[in-house]
Amino acid sequence: MHIPDGFIPISQCLIYYVILIVALYFSVKWARNNLDEKRIPLLAVLAAGIFAIMSMNMPIPFGTSGHMVGGALVAIVFLAPEAAVLVFTVVLLIQALIFGDGGITALGANVLNMAIIGGSVGLYTFKGLQGMIGKYAAAGIGAWLATVIAALACAIEMGIAGTFPMNIGIPSMVLYHVFIGIIEAVLTVIVLVALDKFRPDLLAWNKEDVNEGDA
Amino acid sequence: MDKKDMTLIGIAVLICVVICVLSPYIASGDPDGLEKSAEDAGLDENFTVEEVNGVPEAALPDYAFANDPENQALQVVALIIGVLVTLVVGYAVAEIVKRRN
Repeated sequence: MHIPDGFIPISQCLIYYVILIVALYFSVKWARNNLDEKRIPLLAVLAAGIFAIMSMNMPIPFGTSGHMVGGALVAIVFLAPEAAVLVFTVVLLIQALIFGDGGITALGANVLNMAIIGGSVGLYTFKGLQGMIGKYAAAGIGAWLATVIAALACAIEMGIAGTFPMNIGIPSMVLYHVFIGIIEAVLTVIVLVALDKFRPDLLAWNKEDVNEGDA
Repeated sequence: MDKKDMTLIGIAVLICVVICVLSPYIASGDPDGLEKSAEDAGLDENFTVEEVNGVPEAALPDYAFANDPENQALQVVALIIGVLVTLVVGYAVAEIVKRRN
């Protein structure tokens, strides 16, 4: 769902950039208080992993394809959508500048959809459901919903931009991302299971019981 | 950085390299959800709502080398460059925002 240059008028891109700057302000504040010696490498490897997995487009019905995004994953690993904002600002900037994937002018909108909306929907769905259905089912549903809601937001932005009308954009984007969200859910859960098995100390949801060993 | 974190980076880079080696050969070339939605709305491939000028040329457009864009081995190289750049920039950004106290 990388929006390219030319899909959003510059005047509207500026509004999304303002949102990005505000989000980065809060994310830097979060980072100062929450990143430590081992969470700095974690943030870096998640960024690299997201860059890689975004190249792996998988086929879905309707002659369409999709790849994992990872906004929900990062937000759930750190229990903070701020972490997703930092990771996606780095990844999307590199993709736009070096690889021409996703617009430089659309960076604000792309971070809004994949990190701010995707990360928040994923994290808060996870938090809301984990008590009822368990961590992994909650994370899977959170990741799926993050993909669908981010796609819906993207379709609304395209409508406001005048790129394509919402009566076509919303059903199309939501339909495709209902399927792409399944890829997102499966891979998000796999990474969380692996981290919980091999490096449980890195998951913020385990922080309470790990802190004693750290201090 | 302790040994466990070096291991984390090592394993993560290894997984990323495996993905980068496979992607150019097995990833689907079908349009993604946004491209397909644009098609559904009847937009042609070069559609723009507003011409954007002055955007710097991408060094590795579409994750390939511009002089040989179909070369899949070079696409692997392009992706691995991207992974390493992202890892280093991600690490540097995290380190900088942490330190700026």
